[in-house]
Amino acid sequence: MADASWIAHLLWLLPVLPLAAAAGVTVSPPSRRRRAAAATIGAQAVAFLIASALFLVVLKSSGGGDEIVRQTFNFTWFNFGSSSLELGLLLDPLNAPMLVMVTFVGLLICIYSVAYMSNDANFVRFFAFLSLFSAAMLGLLVANNLLLLFICWELVGLASYLLIGFWAHKPSAVAAAKKAFITTRIGDLGFFLGMIWLYAEAGTLQFYAGGAGILEQSTLTQLAAGITIGGMALATAISLLLFCGAAGKSGQFPFHVWLPDAMEGPTPVSALIHAATMVAAGVFLVARVFPLFAATAGPDLVSTALTTVTWIGAFTAVFAAAIAVAQTDIKRILAYSTVSQLGFMMLALGVGGVAAAIVHLIAHAFFKALLFLGAGSVIHGCGDEQDIRKMGSVRRFMPITFATYAIGMMALSGFPFFFSGFWSKEEILHVVHGWPQSPVPFYLALAGTALTAFYMTRQMRFVFFGNSRAETAAKPHESPRIMTVPLAVLAAAAVLLGIFATPAWPWFHRFITGGTATVDFGRLFTAGTLGLMFLSILLVGAGVGTAWVVYRRLPGSASAPDPLERRLPRLYRALADRLYIDELYNATLIPLHGAAGRAADGLDRFVWNGMVAALTRIILLLSALSQITDRRLFNQGFDSGCEILRRSGGRVSGAHNRNIQARLVYIGSGMVLLFILFAWI
Amino acid sequence: MNYIEFTVFLLPEIVLLVTALAVIGIDCARRGKAATGAGGTLASASLCAAGILVAALIILIMPQEGRIAGGMLVLDPLTRLFKLVLLAMTLVAVLMLMETRPVRHVGENFAVMLFAAIGMMLVVGTEELLVLFIGLELTGISLYVLVGFARSDIRSAEAALKYFLFGSVSAAFLLFGLSLIYGFSGSTELGEIGVAMQAGGMEPLLAVGLVMTLVGFGFKVAAVPFHLWAPDVYQGAPAPAAALVASASKVAGFFILAKVLLLGFAGAEGGAAWGGFQPGWVPLIGVMAALSMVVGNLAALVQNRVRRLLAYSGIGHAGFMLIALMAATPAALASVLFYVVIYGLTTLGAFGVVTVVLRAREGDRLSDFAGMSRQAPLLSFSMLIFFVSLAGLPPLAGFFGKFYLFTSAMGAQAAPGGQPGMLWLVLLALVMSAISLYYYLLVLKQIFFVEAAEGTPVIRASKTGTWTCSILAAATIVLGCYPGILLGPIRLAVGAAF
Amino acid sequence: MITLESFLLVSALLFALGLAAVLTRRNAIMILIGIELMLSAANLNFVAFWRFGANPEALTGVLFVLFSIAVAAAEAAVGLALIIMIYRHYRSINPLKFNVLNG
Repeated sequence: MADASWIAHLLWLLPVLPLAAAAGVTVSPPSRRRRAAAATIGAQAVAFLIASALFLVVLKSSGGGDEIVRQTFNFTWFNFGSSSLELGLLLDPLNAPMLVMVTFVGLLICIYSVAYMSNDANFVRFFAFLSLFSAAMLGLLVANNLLLLFICWELVGLASYLLIGFWAHKPSAVAAAKKAFITTRIGDLGFFLGMIWLYAEAGTLQFYAGGAGILEQSTLTQLAAGITIGGMALATAISLLLFCGAAGKSGQFPFHVWLPDAMEGPTPVSALIHAATMVAAGVFLVARVFPLFAATAGPDLVSTALTTVTWIGAFTAVFAAAIAVAQTDIKRILAYSTVSQLGFMMLALGVGGVAAAIVHLIAHAFFKALLFLGAGSVIHGCGDEQDIRKMGSVRRFMPITFATYAIGMMALSGFPFFFSGFWSKEEILHVVHGWPQSPVPFYLALAGTALTAFYMTRQMRFVFFGNSRAETAAKPHESPRIMTVPLAVLAAAAVLLGIFATPAWPWFHRFITGGTATVDFGRLFTAGTLGLMFLSILLVGAGVGTAWVVYRRLPGSASAPDPLERRLPRLYRALADRLYIDELYNATLIPLHGAAGRAADGLDRFVWNGMVAALTRIILLLSALSQITDRRLFNQGFDSGCEILRRSGGRVSGAHNRNIQARLVYIGSGMVLLFILFAWI
Repeated sequence: MNYIEFTVFLLPEIVLLVTALAVIGIDCARRGKAATGAGGTLASASLCAAGILVAALIILIMPQEGRIAGGMLVLDPLTRLFKLVLLAMTLVAVLMLMETRPVRHVGENFAVMLFAAIGMMLVVGTEELLVLFIGLELTGISLYVLVGFARSDIRSAEAALKYFLFGSVSAAFLLFGLSLIYGFSGSTELGEIGVAMQAGGMEPLLAVGLVMTLVGFGFKVAAVPFHLWAPDVYQGAPAPAAALVASASKVAGFFILAKVLLLGFAGAEGGAAWGGFQPGWVPLIGVMAALSMVVGNLAALVQNRVRRLLAYSGIGHAGFMLIALMAATPAALASVLFYVVIYGLTTLGAFGVVTVVLRAREGDRLSDFAGMSRQAPLLSFSMLIFFVSLAGLPPLAGFFGKFYLFTSAMGAQAAPGGQPGMLWLVLLALVMSAISLYYYLLVLKQIFFVEAAEGTPVIRASKTGTWTCSILAAATIVLGCYPGILLGPIRLAVGAAF
Repeated sequence: MITLESFLLVSALLFALGLAAVLTRRNAIMILIGIELMLSAANLNFVAFWRFGANPEALTGVLFVLFSIAVAAAEAAVGLALIIMIYRHYRSINPLKFNVLNG
C-alpha cells in the first residue's frame, strides 16, 4: 500500500486532535469561553473531516470482492530487554462508519452545547471534558490492540464520570456520577481479567498482526481448543469476561442501573453518552472481538458465549422497554429506551448479525441524539422542566423542535418505510428470526418493538399534545437557532440513513461484512422479508395505536393520575364509558402493561439497587478494616521513617553550610577517599 | 594538516564566535549613544538566536564526517546530535536571558553565553586530551563570568567566586591527572590511551592519574563529594546562567565523562558487583554514584528555595546517571545520554518557570510559588510536567529515562553468584527516586493548592517565557509517550561510534 | 643525570604546596596563586613526561603546556576580576567571610 503512511497519520491524529483541544482548554482560564468553544468545535470539525476522508479510503479499497479490507498500523511502544510492547491502529469497515458517526454527532452536540450551557459558570471546563470524552472514544475506535482499547475505555469512563457529575452542586448528580463509574467499573473488572487471561494465553493483545493477532485464525483455534474450568473452552471463558465489560458500558441487564441515573448530567452529555460514545463502546467491543466470541462456533454461529449475549440482549430489550412505559421524566424514558435499544443490538450480535447490530447502532446514534437534543430543547424551552406530566401542548410553541422530535420518535419506534430505525430494526428481526437455537428471542424482540412504539407515543402525547399542565405561567419558547439547526441536521440524517439499509439495497450491511450490494427490489418481496415486515408494521401500529387511544385524553393537571395508574374501580367505570375496543385494551393490555412495568421498575429499584447497596456496605466494612490496619501498622511506621529521613536530610544539608575553604577540603578528602578505596580493593 | 579542513570542521563554532563578536560590537556601538535598554536586549538576543540557528543548520547539512588531527576534532552522528542538543539548550538560555531584568552590558552577557556554547561544543566534539581541556576551561571560564554577571548583586558575586574557586581547583586536579595519564600512555588521544591501559595493567602512577581525573570530572557533573559548589551557584547565579550550568554544561560533562571512561579508560574498569569488587574506575564511580544519590536526595528534602532544591536534585540525578555509566556498555551509554538530555530539558524548563517567578516575586522560596496556578495556568502546568518527569512518573520522559537507565545497569556486571551485580545500586536508586517525589510535590503543592497571600505580586508571564516553557513541556510529554524519537537516533549513533 | 622520578617528585611537591595554600590561606589572592602552583605542577609533569617519553619528537607535551599556560593566564585574569568584584561587596577578600549564600 503506497499511500498507507498518511492514513496512519490521519488515524492517530483523530484521537489526538480532540485530546490536544482538551489539554489546551483545560489550562486556559475560565474567562476564555469563546476560545474554548472554538477550540473544541474546531477539533471536532477537523476530526469529522478526517473521519470522512478515512471512510472514503475504506470505501474505495473495499470495492468488489468479498474480502474485508483491513489496514493495520502496528508499532512498538517501547522495548525492555528482548520483549516489547506493541500497540497499533486499525482501519476497517467496522470502525470507519463509527468514526464518522462519533465525530459527526459529537460535532453537532458541541455546537448545541454552546447555547445550552451558555449560562453555566464552568462553561470552559465543560468543553474540556467534552473534548476528552470524544478523544477517548475515537482512540477506542481506532485501536488495534486490546490494551489500547482498554486504556481509552477507562478514559471514556473517567470522562463520563466527570460529565455526569458536572453539576457537582447537586447531590443527586454526584451520586449518579459515582453510580455510573462504579457500576461500569464492576463490569470492567471482568474486562480486565479477560484481557490479562488473553495476554497470558495468546502472548499478544494486537487484534490483527499479520496472522499472529488475537482475532486471527491461529490464535482463535488455539483458544477454542483449550479447555478450562467446567469444561468451558478458553475462548468462551475469556469472551464472557470481556462481555462483562461490554454489558457494563452498554447498560445491559443486570448492569443497566446506572444509565437512567446518568440523566443527572447536562442534556448534551446525555446525548453524547447515549448516542455517540459511551454506550456504543460496549456494542462496539463485542463487534470488534466477535471472532473470539464465535471461536467455538460452527458455521451456524452458535457458541456458548454468543448464546449468552443473545439471551441477555433479548431480555434487556423487553425489560427496559416495559420500564419505560411507567416513567414520567422525559429523559428517563429516553434512557430506558436506550437500554432497550442496546438490548436489540446485543441480540443481533448474539445471533451473529454484526452488520445488523452496527447499522442499528449508527442509526440509533443519530435518532437518539436527535431525541435527546430535542428533549433538551423542550426542557430548555419549558424552563428546566423535565416531568412530562407538567408539559403539554408544547407543539404549538416549539414547532421546529416538535417536527424534529416527531421524526426521531418515528425512527425509534420503527415507523415503516421512511425512517432508518425501521429498516435497521427490520434487519435485526430478520437475523433473529433465523436463529436456530430457540424462537423465544424473536418473540421477545417483537414484544420490545411493540412496547417501544407504545411508550414513545405516550411520551409524544404527554409532551406535545393536549393542554398545557405547566405550574408556572411562563409560556414555552422555541430554542435559539444554534440549538435547532443541529436538530434539523440530525433529523435529516435519521431519515436519509434508511436509504442505505433497506433489504432492497443493503449497501450498509454489505459494506461492513465485505462485498458489494446490488439493488434488487425483488428482495423486498421474498416471503420471509415481506412477512416479517408485515408483522413488525402490525406491531408498531398496534403499539402506537394503543398508546394513542389510551392517552387520547390526557390527565387535566400534573397531579392527576396517569391513565396507567388508575385503580381498578376507575378502570371499570372508564370501561363503561368507552367503546368496545377501549374495554378490550383496558381489560387486558393495560393492567398487564402497568403490572409488567411496575414489576420491572420494582425489580429495578429494590432488587438490583438493593444488591448494589449491600455490596457497597460490604466494601465499606472492608475499607474500614483496612483503614485501621493502615493507620496502626503502616502509617505510624511510615511516619517515623519519614521523620528520620527529614532529619537526616537536614543534617546532610547542614553539612554544606561551611565556608569556601572548608568545602574545598571536601575535594581533597574526596580524593583521599577514592585513593583508599582503590588501595583497599 | 590542512587548515581548510579545520575550518570546515569548526564551521559551527566559528559562526558562533563571529556572532558573539558581532554582539559585542553592537553593544560597544550603542554604549556611545544611550544606556542599554530593552531594545539592546532584543537586538542582541535575536542576533544570538540567529547565530545559533545558523550553526545548527550547518551541523544538520554538513556532509563531513570523520576525525582529524589525531582525534582532536571528531564528527560523527553522535557528536552532531549532541552539538545540536547543546545549541538548543543554549537557545533556551538566551531566551531566558531576555526574560530577566536587563543588566548593564547586556550584549556581553549574550556573547559570553555563546562562548560557553563554543566551549561545550569543543568538548563534545573531541577525543583528545588537549582540546578536551581547552574546551572544558573555555566553558568553565565563560560560566564563571555568566554566574557573576549580576554585578550589583552580592549573591551573584559570591556564587561566581565560589564557582571559580571550585572550578579552578578541580581543573588543576584534572590537569594533573591528565599529565599522569599522558605520562603513562605517551599519548593524548583517548583511543591510544585505552590501548595502553589494556596492555599495561594497573600501576600506582596510573591509579593516581585516574583518581585525579575523576575528581576533575566529578566537579563538572556535580557528583558527591565534589558537588559543594552546586547549591550556592544555582541559588546565587542569575537564572539563565544557572539554567545553562544545570543543563547544557551537565550534558557536555556527562558526554565527555562517558567518552573518557569508555574509550580512554577502556582497560581499567574493575568491578563493582556486590562482593566482587575489582580495582578500576568502576568502583570509584560506584561510590560517587551511591553518595550522590543519598546526599542529593536527602538534602533536597529540607530545602526552602527552589533553585537550591533543583541543585540538590541535580546531584541526585547525577548519581542515577553514574550508575549506568558503570555498566560500560554501548546500551548503557545510550541510556545515560538519553537521560541526561531529558534531565537537561526538564531542568531548563523548571529554571524557565523559576525565572518568571523570580522576576515577579523577587524570590524563589517555596511560598513565592503559592497561587501560581491561578495566575499563570500554562506555566504552572508546564512546571507540573517538568517536576513529575524529574520524579520519574510515567508517562513522561523522565520515567523512560530512569527505566532504561536502571534496566541497562541491571544487565551489566554479573556478581559472583550470577545475579545482576549492580542490584544494590539500583535498589538504592529506586528508594531514592521514591524519596525525591516528596520534594517535587512540595513545590507543586504550593503552585496548585496554596492560595497566594494578600498583596503578593501577580505572576505575569511574557509570551516568550510561556511559549518556551510550554514547548519544553510538550517535548517532555511527547518523549514520554514515544521515547523512540530521541532514543532511536542516540542508539544508532552510539552503535556507530562504539 | 636528573631522572624522571625527581621531576615527578618536584611536581608532586609543587602540587601539594599549591593545595595547601588553597586550603589554608585566608586571602583570596593567595588561593589564586595556590591554584596557579597546582597548574604549574601539572605543566612540569607534561614537560618531564615529554622529555623522557618514548617519542619526544612529537612535541605533544610541550604543545599541551603552551596551551595550558595560556588557559591558566585567562583563568587568573577572570579570577582576579571576580576577586575585585567581591571586594566591592564585602570590603574584604577573606574567603571565610563570603557566606551570604547558605541553605
